[in-house]
Amino acid sequence: MHIDLNSCFATVEQQANPLLRNRPIAVAAYNSPRGVIIAPSVEAKKLGIKVGFRVMEAKQVCPDIKILEPDTQKYRFIHLCLKGLLLEYTNQLEPKSVDEFVLDFEGAPKFRSGLLEVGGEIKKRIKEEIGDYITVSVGVSTNRFLAKTASNLRKPDGLEEINYVNFDRVYSKLELMDLSGIGKKNLMKLNSNGIHTVWDFYEASPHRLKHIFRSVVGNYWYLKLRGYEIENYKEVRRSFGQQYALSKPVKSLPELTPILTKLVEKMGFRLRNSGYKTQGVHLSMIYKDNTAWHMGRKTKRIIYDSRDIYKEILRLYFMSPPKDITLVGVSCFNLVQADKTQLELFSDISKREGLTQMLDKINNRWGKFVVSPASMLNTKDQVLDRIGFGNV
Amino acid sequence: MAEKIKEPVSVSLIFDHRKRKTLISHVLWHNQPYKITNQGLHHTYKQGSALIHVFSVASDTISFRLVLDSSSLIWILEETYDPNFR
Repeated sequence: MHIDLNSCFATVEQQANPLLRNRPIAVAAYNSPRGVIIAPSVEAKKLGIKVGFRVMEAKQVCPDIKILEPDTQKYRFIHLCLKGLLLEYTNQLEPKSVDEFVLDFEGAPKFRSGLLEVGGEIKKRIKEEIGDYITVSVGVSTNRFLAKTASNLRKPDGLEEINYVNFDRVYSKLELMDLSGIGKKNLMKLNSNGIHTVWDFYEASPHRLKHIFRSVVGNYWYLKLRGYEIENYKEVRRSFGQQYALSKPVKSLPELTPILTKLVEKMGFRLRNSGYKTQGVHLSMIYKDNTAWHMGRKTKRIIYDSRDIYKEILRLYFMSPPKDITLVGVSCFNLVQADKTQLELFSDISKREGLTQMLDKINNRWGKFVVSPASMLNTKDQVLDRIGFGNV
Repeated sequence: MAEKIKEPVSVSLIFDHRKRKTLISHVLWHNQPYKITNQGLHHTYKQGSALIHVFSVASDTISFRLVLDSSSLIWILEETYDPNFR
């Protein structure tokens, strides 16, 4: 079963503020003309406003649209409420993002009641227990891909099933781009090989699909379209990252230092809090002339302290071209479990580790950035809390 | 129009033990009482170890974002929204 919270951020805002209900609203990364819309409400979508629009474009379509900035605490709270409710139905629950859940009912007692009935009950309970304005689209099928496809069949507030009886009818109504995983590139590949409809796609042989996708992905599509599950693997965390779009271009290091420090502090805190250390750092930048630069390097030793990560990031920065920066991103990769420590000959690692743990403890107890580097001063309103796509 | 306020405010709160729900009945702000007719959302978050309660509620004409710090029990009006005021 795939459950998708409709227009998540916007609906949660309308739940919180009853005076915004049944009106076109949108949540944008920034409430400025060039801010990008990340969640239009159902009413705004009906007017043609889509994710990715600039605020100024949305206001051209609907001058009365209400723009809000994201309130991540609110969205995380709703996510956790929803997760708690869904766990009452099955323990095989996988949050795909802040607004999407996949539930596997294999072996769950509720399976016997019929999943469409369970889906209906979940929708009813969400309205009663979480918020009367919150709607979800529920899709039921034999694999994750088809369940997601089913949840997209009717939005908002849908409850649909794709099964062996109706799959041909559903496929004949869908377009290739309606399938999750088929974007413009894949569409071109399929079209250039004579596949123009979902039904053509379904009827293609595994050999032909393998030839089109030039990899095992073709076989995966053959199986997915027939309802076999191929995505039941556990996703493993491979990196942590933070990025920030600067309000005005920055060229010099003194100007960039506060932002860079805060990005590294946030990333370091998340890294340690999740029980990891790292042995690789990466820096990426986008410049005013729309060019991009990025570089990553493996570090000689395992690091975890934000100060050490910052030093490594700084080394990368000195290799970058001196141009006006509009977006900066840091990330760390080559993650190792935090219990692995390489002792050093000339410095006391345990002492340093203890200090870092203590600083994290203070920040956990008294709030984020209560103790932080002096170079991070005056960044209170910058690098705000965000929920990335695919993360919570 | 939404307006950031951040000032202390008087709030009447009711706890319904049967429904296990906490409801805000009245808000007194700038000597003006507002009867709350719609409970939007009650959510919480942690600020360090302090649990912060946020009540988003509305009267017939104006909505409020009310914040209660559970460690100090002081109510703060953080934001108002009046759709008719531009």
